Amino acid sequence: MTVASPPEPMLPPRRRPWGIAVLVAVVLVVIGFLAFSSIGNALLYYLTPTELLERGDAAIGETVRLGGQVATGSVSGPATDLRFTLTDGTSDIPVHSTVAPTRSFREGSGAVVEGSLGADGVFEATQVIVKHDENYEAPAPGTLPSDRAFDPDE
Amino acid sequence: MIPTLGHVAVLIGLGLSLYAVVAYVLAARGADRRLAESARQAVIGSFLAAFAGCVAMVISLLSHDFSVLYVAENNATTTPPFISAISLWAALEGSILFWTLLATGWAALVLHRLRDRHRALMPWAGATLATVNLFFFAVMTWPGNPFTLTSPVAAEGLGPNALLQNHPFMALHPPLLYLGYTGLAVPFAFGVAALVTRRLDDEWLRIVRRWTLIPWIFLTLGIVAGAWWSYEVLGWGGYWAWDPVENAALLPWLTATAFVHSSMVAERRGGLRIWTSALVIATFVLTLVGTFLTRSGVVASVHSFTQSAIGPWFLAAILVALGGALTLLVWRIPDLVGGGRPSALLSRESAFLFNNVLFLGLTFAVLFGTLLPLLVQATSGDTISVGAPWFNAVNAPIFLALLFLMGVGPALPWGAASWTTLRERFAAPVLVAGVVAVLAFALGLRDVASLLTLALAALVATILGDEFLRGARARSRRRGEAAPTAAWRLATRNRRRYGGYTVHFGVLVMAVAVAISSGLSSDVTATVVPGEVVRIGAYELRLERLVVEPLRDDPRVIETRAELSVSGPQGGELATALRDYPNSAAAIATPAVRTTLGEDLYVTLLASDAATGAVTLHLFVNPLVVWIWIGGAIIGIGSTFAIWPARRAVPVLAPQVRRAVEPKPTTPSVERA
Repeated sequence: MTVASPPEPMLPPRRRPWGIAVLVAVVLVVIGFLAFSSIGNALLYYLTPTELLERGDAAIGETVRLGGQVATGSVSGPATDLRFTLTDGTSDIPVHSTVAPTRSFREGSGAVVEGSLGADGVFEATQVIVKHDENYEAPAPGTLPSDRAFDPDE
Repeated sequence: MIPTLGHVAVLIGLGLSLYAVVAYVLAARGADRRLAESARQAVIGSFLAAFAGCVAMVISLLSHDFSVLYVAENNATTTPPFISAISLWAALEGSILFWTLLATGWAALVLHRLRDRHRALMPWAGATLATVNLFFFAVMTWPGNPFTLTSPVAAEGLGPNALLQNHPFMALHPPLLYLGYTGLAVPFAFGVAALVTRRLDDEWLRIVRRWTLIPWIFLTLGIVAGAWWSYEVLGWGGYWAWDPVENAALLPWLTATAFVHSSMVAERRGGLRIWTSALVIATFVLTLVGTFLTRSGVVASVHSFTQSAIGPWFLAAILVALGGALTLLVWRIPDLVGGGRPSALLSRESAFLFNNVLFLGLTFAVLFGTLLPLLVQATSGDTISVGAPWFNAVNAPIFLALLFLMGVGPALPWGAASWTTLRERFAAPVLVAGVVAVLAFALGLRDVASLLTLALAALVATILGDEFLRGARARSRRRGEAAPTAAWRLATRNRRRYGGYTVHFGVLVMAVAVAISSGLSSDVTATVVPGEVVRIGAYELRLERLVVEPLRDDPRVIETRAELSVSGPQGGELATALRDYPNSAAAIATPAVRTTLGEDLYVTLLASDAATGAVTLHLFVNPLVVWIWIGGAIIGIGSTFAIWPARRAVPVLAPQVRRAVEPKPTTPSVERA
């Protein structure tokens, strides 16, 4: 760089370059706007069926992660048009999914679904993640956290 | 016996590091020069101690010595030797041991290489590096002892991390990343030394720039290798998920890259000294933050290790490093201000300035998105995550603006540009960019971000190519050399500039590949029984059979494999599987990836039914993905070219001719800082 650059122009500008300061400020404002204007939609809440229902109508259409247990006897349909009920023991929410869950999905197992509650009260899942443990906790050494192991749509 | 020796080695390393810190500080305060010499020996000794510790651990792993807790948790009698050996960095304690090896290795290397130079800076830089090493040895002595013993000794261990076992890439990705991380302590050490001694001239900048670029190369390759690993192993069809740990590696990379650019302005025009010092500090602190995020279990991620006691230690280290260095920086501000010459809006300096603003914007956005879930959890108790769409929405425009600057910067002259220069340099590239965008649109590309990426990449590539050809032609005319000779000599006489351009070219390749692969990829999920066919793009895949059997190398692993035959381009057999490891609750995906220069066919097995032989497959066609890895390789080559030491002698032309046409090409001391 030292060598190849052309000789320096002999006319350094005389004024302080306010233009640069203004442009830097504009860039920073734009970045800030980008970050904060969309953060509200980007936050993904992790809720139980009871918590989701407590939100009432506000919950409709909002993308969340819903965690619970797949109710016994509730699973029907093929892997790509699946219906089941998620329960936390207090509240039940029917779930419909067109994305296949991972293999360890079964009745009685814990599951996390990502998607939103429809106006008809059915949770439309865009992602079904099987939990291997009822407690949502850090994974054991040497294992994948169950919520990341198979994330087909991310 | 062997584990005990390993533990003793760690203790020796702890003692030697402590000695080195004290001796360097005394030497810096004017004590005997031999004290600094002995401190340097102590640092080299601590490297040998860490090496001995690693050897002890690898021997314990290879001999399946389950009396060591780490071996019992990460190894089994059936584990093959190669996997056993790389299990050194498979889990927390081992990876800290390996980390210490690399950290002490960098310290020993730099203190040895620069031993006769920079007499004023060396003791403080040495003391800082030895302090970092001391911290890692202390972590291994107290909360994260890799040689903790268990009793009674189990007859069989738990086996290695299933993910580690499943792909040989784990042998490559962590070492590269760790080399990058640990190496960034070197510029920090010299930054601290410069601030303490108030020797804030060009000397420290030269050392720091060179010793930032070397770890930067490793960090870059480590990040690319990590993305590749994620693509080949995790089976979700992508390569970057804005996972907290991916972000943790990206953050110091962003600030280090910003530093590499701002240091050029600082060298050329003076000034920016507070800024460059702050970037060096931020980079090192972010490597600590990254380690903290990765190794303490505070965030859930593919990489999370067990919740461990080292979290508070790293938190304390972050606070000490950040607080100490910032205090030092503020204290020295009177020595740092001024010196720069103001520049015009349309100049190369201002392009560099905007580059830095954008890199800092990226850093803040990524840091904010990564830490927000922690903050929300701590304040309101809600569990949230910040999705990849947010990161994409915020960062994509910044990346596009950076791409634009990558072309504008080299085309603008230092100082101030005139409108004539602008017309002359930009007319053709803008035209090429327009043509490329129109062509891509005509070929069916509709995604705005992808179109912009293509147009900008065309713009930058034309500017870089034009710049190089112009130089080569001038040289060829001036010195009567053949064109290829002129081009090669131009490049090797200006390694930093043309190495940098090569890096930029690699970034362009990568940017186009990312834009196209995310804009034009297609995927389909299908459930099929043997004999049935699923179609995606030009491919037709027929399920032949579903096989469930133990793995041949390791019968404890059960593989569920769908065997398919592919017709269409790249016809042939293909198998995609899920593997059940005895120590992993979740089955590990083994996606089938068929790579060509044009597109990848990527097939994962989601579910299967042994009774009917039916399988559910997720199929992707990802265009141009291989060019992301190729772009990474180009970046590696370009940056290595840039830091390659310049030759001292140029025995090509007769001396009198050379004197006549060109001043001595480079001052070796400048290039070889």
